[in-house]
Amino acid sequence: MERFELRRQDFRLDDDQQAVREGFGDFFTKQVPSSLVRDAQPLGFDADLWQRVVAMGATSMGLPEEAGGDGATLVDLVLVAEELGRVVAPVPLVSHVVASRLLARAGGAGELLAAAAEGERVVTLALQPGVGGNRQLVPDAAVARDVLAWSAEGLTLHTLPEPAAHVPNQGSTPLAWFDPAAGERTVLAAGPGAEALFRTAVAEWKLLTGAALVGIAESALQLGVEFAKSRRTLGVAIGALQGVAFPLADVVSEISGARNLVRKAAWYAEHEPATRPDLPLVAFVHAARAATEAAWVSAHTQGGLGFTVEADISLFFLRAKGWSVLGGDPGADRRHIAAALLAAV
Amino acid sequence: MDLGTVELTPEQEAFRQEVRAFLDEIVTEEVHEHERRTGDGFHVGVHLALGSRGWLFPEWPVADGGAGLDRVCQRVLALELARRHVPMVTHSTTGLVWAAVELSADPELAARLKPEVAAGRVRFCLGYSDPEGGSDIAGATLRAVRDGDEWVLNGSKLWTTGAHNCQYTFLITRTDPEAPKHKGLTMFLVPLDSPGVEIQAIHTYGGERTNAVYYTDVHVSDTHRMGDVNAGWATLQGPLSAEHGAGRPDDGLSDVGMAMGTREFEAAIDAAARWAKHTTRPDGTLVADDPAFLDRLGALVVEAEASRVTPGPMGRVKSSLSYIAGIAELVDLVGPEALLAHGADGAIEGGVLDYAHRFAQGTATYGGTTEVFKGMIAQHVLGLPRLNLPGSKQWVR
Ligand SMILES: Cc1cc2nc3c(=O)[nH]c(=O)nc-3n(C[C@H](O)[C@H](O)[C@H](O)COP(=O)(O)OP(=O)(O)OC[C@H]3O[C@@H](n4cnc5c(N)ncnc54)[C@H](O)[C@@H]3O)c2cc1C
Repeated sequence: MERFELRRQDFRLDDDQQAVREGFGDFFTKQVPSSLVRDAQPLGFDADLWQRVVAMGATSMGLPEEAGGDGATLVDLVLVAEELGRVVAPVPLVSHVVASRLLARAGGAGELLAAAAEGERVVTLALQPGVGGNRQLVPDAAVARDVLAWSAEGLTLHTLPEPAAHVPNQGSTPLAWFDPAAGERTVLAAGPGAEALFRTAVAEWKLLTGAALVGIAESALQLGVEFAKSRRTLGVAIGALQGVAFPLADVVSEISGARNLVRKAAWYAEHEPATRPDLPLVAFVHAARAATEAAWVSAHTQGGLGFTVEADISLFFLRAKGWSVLGGDPGADRRHIAAALLAAV
Repeated sequence: MDLGTVELTPEQEAFRQEVRAFLDEIVTEEVHEHERRTGDGFHVGVHLALGSRGWLFPEWPVADGGAGLDRVCQRVLALELARRHVPMVTHSTTGLVWAAVELSADPELAARLKPEVAAGRVRFCLGYSDPEGGSDIAGATLRAVRDGDEWVLNGSKLWTTGAHNCQYTFLITRTDPEAPKHKGLTMFLVPLDSPGVEIQAIHTYGGERTNAVYYTDVHVSDTHRMGDVNAGWATLQGPLSAEHGAGRPDDGLSDVGMAMGTREFEAAIDAAARWAKHTTRPDGTLVADDPAFLDRLGALVVEAEASRVTPGPMGRVKSSLSYIAGIAELVDLVGPEALLAHGADGAIEGGVLDYAHRFAQGTATYGGTTEVFKGMIAQHVLGLPRLNLPGSKQWVR
């Protein structure tokens, strides 16, 4: 592993990227007050909001131009996902974008891809390899009739008559059990190529979810910081006390690193996918931990109030884990990351 | 965003080859052996050799003793120096102090020193930390009393790293004990060969040597005062914020944050990874095949990656704390072989883990402790209110 390579470390966003970030930031902030998030519980899907997200171009922007997209880069997509996470928007955008990109790469199912680009049909991805016909929990499958899955047979599109039944869960996500025997099945690709497509899609899902987790962490932090500025004890603001301030300083350190790591992973995945294929996993593991820590520290900063359902921090606390856990045990990612290092040294 | 490799022009590529060839010649095993033995963070031969090329201040014009390098070539040089673990502590303190000399020193003195500094014959150390406590820099106690055209210094400093290899120390003194604490400080550039200066070695278990410096009736000319009398706090701000990472050009050719110890952490991680590939445990299993080993090693890779990209002062905290926790974990992962000393039978890659574990601890302390930085992050990044303590504004002894 070359640790002294001459590379730029320029994390500044260019004007277009800045416009994407600000455009979606404004959009999500205006369109998604916390009341909307609460109203969408327990399913975690707001059909109206979804239409508006589609109208923003979010479902098509990441597709190649031939597939009706704008060829937005993964850097653009992580910027959007961070803004989505900031307001914990109840829309299946991450799974949908990743599954649509996978569809486009695999080829076939052109009609579905067109409908997906328009947001008319929601597509999702089973993140675990299918073995022996075992069922698995799939993110957003409670609002998607079309599920992409990979098994020894290949990469398969499962089209169900209607989305599977929602299973209520801590993060209020549209989670559902996926039965690989269910629905109409079309094999889109087979062999090692199919597996590579699947692994890339899972990495993209982790990357975009990592970005959303950075957004969650940032909002959680802000709630804690605002509380710490105004809440008083012994005649001073609690935020003046190091026992309160230092954990918040730790949190902002974790978040700022996770944000750059997500962007770095996105940049490599876009421009040099073969150089550091482990980076999306690195970013996901770090972002998941940052979000877990941010949510807990912020909730705790708010004392008993931070433990109540009424407090907005509850929305972020429950989703910090509720969204990251969908990616499976980070231990598996860490083993991949270490294996990549062993291969490189 | 641009994280791409930098395409070198033929001239820049030739420069890289020149740097590599020159460093191969001057950074000998003797240099590393000297560093292991002394912990000086300095090697006079290497320092003067770099100076002879203008590479101590490579961005300075050639006429000033620099090499007039563009930003890419500066980065090329910095990376090659880092790759070879060239001891650079005194080089870096000299650079920090120079910024203040240029701004605040008597112009005649500055003009006289400049070529000497560029050549490497004059070097500076930081005389900030008091024996009574280094974090409260503005609480400095070493007294300076005016005596005609001179000042008389009495007191002591701890941790003046490199003092025994430097010609001057950039010293914080108290000139008005009655004033609010930030308003009674004056900075001096004190010649270390002045009568009454005594330097005593302090050794760390990280292998570094630093110093206690005692000042007994040391006379310093007023021409060695830096900045106005009682304006020491202002004089100090430039070098302090430079030490804290401010002012680096935002062109992607600087490190993202002020990572502390991340290179040492990475070196240890890489060595452990190589070790795992060829080491079978007494029970016959290959370490690299152990999923628990991989899981825990993977966690450390994440920490090191995060340390590298965490920006600004957050990077200072993150890198140091991740390194300290992570290297202890890495030692557990490898077992007793990790702590075999350089040269011992079975030591891993020259004892790189042993060294990294000892070295880590200091990174949370020097340059401003992690707590001091958390305080700055809380106030300046998060906007949290500052805590007013008895000594926040007053000089409380
Ligand atoms: C190897 C080495 C090299 C060094 N080189 C130099 C040098 O070249 N020049 C120089 O001037 N100094 C140097 N230092 C000194 C270094 O800057 C100080 O050690 C550091 O600033 C801490 O000061 P202290 O050791 O006196 O600890 P103290 O300031 O007494 O602190 C003790 C503990 O209390 C904590 N603490 C103190 N104040 C606060 C606060 N306000 N809030 C929360 N926690 C607090 C600290 O974080 C620390 O954990 C060096 C130190 C070492 C170990």
